[in-house]
Amino acid sequence: MTVFSELYSAYYNAVADILKKASDHPVTQKEIRETAQKAAFSESMLSIVPALTEERWQVLRKDGRTVLDHDPTMPLTLLQKRWLKAIFLDPRIRLFEDQLPEAPDVEPLFTPEDVAVVDRYADGDPYEDAQYRAHFRLILNALNMNYPLQIDYTSGKGKHARLILMPRRLEYSEKDDKFRLIGEDSRRTCVINVGRIVSVRPYAGQLEWYAAGKEQDRAEVVLEVVDQRNALERVLMHFAHFEKEAEKLDDLHYRVTIRYDRDDETEMVIRILSFGPLVHVTGPDSFVHLIRERLMLQKHCGLI
Amino acid sequence: MAYSELIKNFSRIRDYMREFYLYGFKSRGEYTQKSARSYDNERRRIESILDGYMRFRQTPEGRNVFLSIDSRKVPHNPLYKAWKAGSFTDGDITLHFLLFDILYAPEVALTLQEITEAVDRKLAVFEEPRVFDESTVRKKLKEYAAEGLLIMEKKGKSVRYRRSEAAQLPGRDVLDFFSETAPCGVIGSFLLDKMEAHPGHFAFKHHYITSSMDSEILCALFLGIREKREVTLETIHRPDGQTHVLKAVPLQIMVSVQSGRQYLMAAADHRQRIRSFRLDNILSVSPGEVCGEYDTLRGNLERMRQHIWGVSTHSFSGARMEHVDFTVHFGPDEEHIFRRLEREKRCGTVERISEDTARFSADVYDASEMIPWIRTFICRLTELHFSDPQLQEHFLHDLQEMAEMYGVEGGEDA
Repeated sequence: MTVFSELYSAYYNAVADILKKASDHPVTQKEIRETAQKAAFSESMLSIVPALTEERWQVLRKDGRTVLDHDPTMPLTLLQKRWLKAIFLDPRIRLFEDQLPEAPDVEPLFTPEDVAVVDRYADGDPYEDAQYRAHFRLILNALNMNYPLQIDYTSGKGKHARLILMPRRLEYSEKDDKFRLIGEDSRRTCVINVGRIVSVRPYAGQLEWYAAGKEQDRAEVVLEVVDQRNALERVLMHFAHFEKEAEKLDDLHYRVTIRYDRDDETEMVIRILSFGPLVHVTGPDSFVHLIRERLMLQKHCGLI
Repeated sequence: MAYSELIKNFSRIRDYMREFYLYGFKSRGEYTQKSARSYDNERRRIESILDGYMRFRQTPEGRNVFLSIDSRKVPHNPLYKAWKAGSFTDGDITLHFLLFDILYAPEVALTLQEITEAVDRKLAVFEEPRVFDESTVRKKLKEYAAEGLLIMEKKGKSVRYRRSEAAQLPGRDVLDFFSETAPCGVIGSFLLDKMEAHPGHFAFKHHYITSSMDSEILCALFLGIREKREVTLETIHRPDGQTHVLKAVPLQIMVSVQSGRQYLMAAADHRQRIRSFRLDNILSVSPGEVCGEYDTLRGNLERMRQHIWGVSTHSFSGARMEHVDFTVHFGPDEEHIFRRLEREKRCGTVERISEDTARFSADVYDASEMIPWIRTFICRLTELHFSDPQLQEHFLHDLQEMAEMYGVEGGEDA
């Protein structure tokens, strides 16, 4: 039972797609090429097309018809069933539906007790709460069916607010253990913590939505890392989820440029501070100022 | 051997992808000390598999290749694609499609001979039909039975093969979500491949995708945990490349969602000590004997966890337990700082000393693990005590160095 197996290969999937088409009509070389390109990798058609047309993979005849009598299908592997069984034990599964499909009759690959997250924040969303689940499901339905929502929620400052928006995506943070709804109202991109929603309902009126997909306000920070105490690896791992570039300056020093959403600036400041003196912010000046300001405040508190 | 886009051995591409994704500052020359052709082939493979994510930069030392992915912007982990590039032979793929066409429904049960004859009949339409002898077909059928795809039924002397019953899949949203957030999520991605492609409605913040490269190791460890087996681990010490082989009883996987690292907690050193192993430093896992004292060891870990801050179970000072406490000051409009302490305290304790001050304290095996977190409160730390004087000095020295680095050193504000 291995993860790395040709059974899950993009090539097998591409050939299955081609054979499905071939059971309907004789497939052309162009169709084979296009299907391979879509289901596999950028160079895959260079291998898949000749392998099929030269009859090295003997599943397609020269005339583009398949030798199969049925659409190609494969049952789930034991590994897939065990993984499914494991996720059915995750409390977050109840967010999606109360009536889950019957769990496969196998041992789970892992149980919630086999995995511990050491540094997740303790104030995550209340997945067990029936009202929270109802809000989550309606939002997901709106995303699937593409309709706007009217949302009443409590703002970060504890005030009641209302928004009418077109939902675009649900963003989950494993660190915060929270979902946030991202959407557009008529003027801007809006972000609401799902846990702060008081009520949500479909909105029947007509509005013009703010241009969807507009890039978030992006910012950049440049760090110089001294590779002592394994700092380089720790920094690159820690900031791995951002778009970034690393350059070697000399045997000990590296420059790392990280691009992030400007809304997350405070979080970036404290994350960089956590590395201590082995990470030095060199730009932009406004970011250097934010670090310096914290150190000045610390000086007033003592310890420096 | 001619270049192929497909991968025979995942461990090599695991190393290259890690280098390209995490580091990305090495030039070709730094990779090619062992084999220039190997580097060129792996780079080309990754470029083909991760089309659109490869970046290049020209430096005086040569052309640097790196992977640049903002995981918040992609609904599905692009690194999963590498797991779908396993190599196979012409015979493997031919037989695969023919076998499932012959055994097209769970009710169809055939003997090896019947299946081999049916394969021959299907191949007879080709000018130069492949010939699969019975032993090749038997080997493939047994392989598929082991994977759970086929069921072997023995009746008297004959064995019949039939496909497994179809299992019902959950909705696409379920798979979209758990393929990114559950351990071994790549398996969820394999399931998504069975459905029509769609863009997905989820995005993921603070999403570490690198750990997906360790899925095979993680899966093998889960099997060990579920079966309560000892395993043999082959590990690497990255700085010098030295490898080690040891026996350990896998007890739990610990995941850091703030650093992207995954660790195995295991009883090692003749089961005398519970310690952590980084998954990306484990090269292979082989199953061993079932461990009779498994539940006791797991219970020990559970008790220890109330004093583990990260994953470390021993200190540099040699003390069994280390104490840390610090106080933070916050203004009237900074109540969120107190809430931050509460939600991030893990095994520590937070007490409100006054309206604008709170104290955090903890007794942990290794207080050095807490230093990065304590630094996130720089600008409001009013007191700090480590039971290990060296850690105390280390923290204050670093703080002083930071102040100097940003021109805030000693005396009046610079």
